[in-house]
Amino acid sequence: MSDLQLEIKHLIIEALGLEDMEAADIGADLPLFGEGLGLDSVDALELGLAIQKRFGIKIDAEAKDTREHFANVASLAAFVAARQSA
Amino acid sequence: MSWIGLDCLLLNPDASRPVTPDLDHAELCQRALRLAGQLRGQNVQRVALYLEDAADLAIALLGAWLAGVQVLLPADAQAQTRLQLASRIDLWLDALDPAEAAEPLAARALDLDRCRLTLCTSGSSGEAKLIDKSLRQLSNEVEALERLWGETLGDAVIVASVAAQHIYGLLFRVLWPLCAGRAFLRHAQPFPEDMQRISLEQPAFAWVASPALLKRMGDNLDWTALQPLRQVFSSGGALPTEAAQLLHAQLGQWPTEIYGSSETGGIAWRRGDTPWQPFAGVKLGVNAEGALRLTSPYLPAGHCEQTADAVELQADGRFVLRGRLDRIVKLEEKRISLPMLEQALMAHHWVSDARLGVLQQGRAFLGALLALSPAGVHALRNQGRRSITDTLRRHLAGHCEAIALPRRWRLLSQLPYSSQGKLAQAAVEALLAAPRPTQVEPLSAVQRDGEWQLELQVPLDLAHFSGHFPQTPVLPGVVQIDWAQQLARQLIEQLPPRFVGMEVLKFQQLVRPGDPLQLSLRFDASRGKLYFTFRNGDKACSSGRILLGPAQ
Repeated sequence: MSDLQLEIKHLIIEALGLEDMEAADIGADLPLFGEGLGLDSVDALELGLAIQKRFGIKIDAEAKDTREHFANVASLAAFVAARQSA
Repeated sequence: MSWIGLDCLLLNPDASRPVTPDLDHAELCQRALRLAGQLRGQNVQRVALYLEDAADLAIALLGAWLAGVQVLLPADAQAQTRLQLASRIDLWLDALDPAEAAEPLAARALDLDRCRLTLCTSGSSGEAKLIDKSLRQLSNEVEALERLWGETLGDAVIVASVAAQHIYGLLFRVLWPLCAGRAFLRHAQPFPEDMQRISLEQPAFAWVASPALLKRMGDNLDWTALQPLRQVFSSGGALPTEAAQLLHAQLGQWPTEIYGSSETGGIAWRRGDTPWQPFAGVKLGVNAEGALRLTSPYLPAGHCEQTADAVELQADGRFVLRGRLDRIVKLEEKRISLPMLEQALMAHHWVSDARLGVLQQGRAFLGALLALSPAGVHALRNQGRRSITDTLRRHLAGHCEAIALPRRWRLLSQLPYSSQGKLAQAAVEALLAAPRPTQVEPLSAVQRDGEWQLELQVPLDLAHFSGHFPQTPVLPGVVQIDWAQQLARQLIEQLPPRFVGMEVLKFQQLVRPGDPLQLSLRFDASRGKLYFTFRNGDKACSSGRILLGPAQ
């Protein structure tokens, strides 16, 4: 597991107030929304803001694949890494 | 025993009629007439009464009404309350002078419509709400109570655990017995042991109590000795079924629960887990949301009071309560009924009581304050906290949208209701917002022969349990040592400030969530050693010596 993935897991727990969760409970490919972690659309908004703030990146308002970036921790880490190096 | 209407209590003083075991009706009348004279002499128009002695309250009420003074009963005597009420009153009376020598007013019947009483209630918003009543409303209610239960009570002395400043205590432990010629005790007894002790000094007795008392009866009451208890009343909040069942099992009778409010007075009653029976003359209906509304002889004539309590009316005129409707919150534009979710949580056998609150932390979400049942405590001890919260989340998932699933949980052995059986929403939310505990509050601490003995209960929700260990929570040894040292510093003066080391440390028995612990602490000043032992009943859990030294 990369440091970035771990950092994102901690960010999810912290930003969404999931105090009973630990990073180890969130698998890199566990779906964040719906079944899986069970986050909802408001969490998606909160998480989007937290990610942009923490990593100093912007989610492209035009891009249609934002949903896919937020599918799980692995995709989110790949998205952040790509944006940071862009 | 003979009934005297509330309006006629000052006529025909009768020295053979008891008011309290140490005060008769003739003396009550005499003191009320003198107080009336004093209030008239001082030209008092509006008085606030805050009298913990129920006999003094009776004297003051009758005296004030006779003198044509409007009476206000504040809910508490805090400086803030006094300040808020200052513009509404001329006099704040919190003690009576038994030797008051003012010229008495002449006795006469009280005017049931002109004599007024204002009650104060905290209200759900926290701001004090004033409720105005006429003597006629109160009179109608005590007469109805006597018709229902006067015969059962007979000459029972009324022993109460609730204050007389609120409508329930005022009616049940002061005005009703006063009119009936039934003696009542002056002071409220908040503890079950005191209720028992004082009751057993009376040949026959009845209790005016609240859920706060009845669900904490403990296991050291002498139920056999309490058999002469003629009737137990409970009001102020919902009485848990288990508490009613315990009384039924031990006394062979159900407590009489009264459902009502400061605004409405009594609405209905029940004995045992049955639908509620409205009082005679109370007419019920529901609004579009299903909330009860009513007209009643205890309300101003023609007034229809809308409550926020959801009810299900039955064909036979009785009804079932379905929780409050005013505790509906909006989370991200979705309306969520907290009572509905609380009931769903309480339907799980691990949960004995539940209150939900809203937390704002980035987004708004719900937190759940739970009192665990014995089965819930067992599950917590053997499966860990995550298993409890995951299971309850899944249990709730069938009742609500994902957004309403609580994200924060606080597990307690019981919820912190006030002595009036209330738990303010703000208090729930403050408890949910606070971090999980790391320390323990002693239940008691006594010193004997230079040694301190403390009773502790290990908090169910101790923060240390999450990592130690997730599936089998065990109190870490280092925390036991820390507690021993922290508690010793609160109790023993001039303990050397510096931790130097440990000696003969022994851990013999695991300590788990909810365990009762007895901690002994002794400080040997000449050697600088703090001796501690944690026991759970007859089993030693841990012991050792903490070496303490002067600051460096």
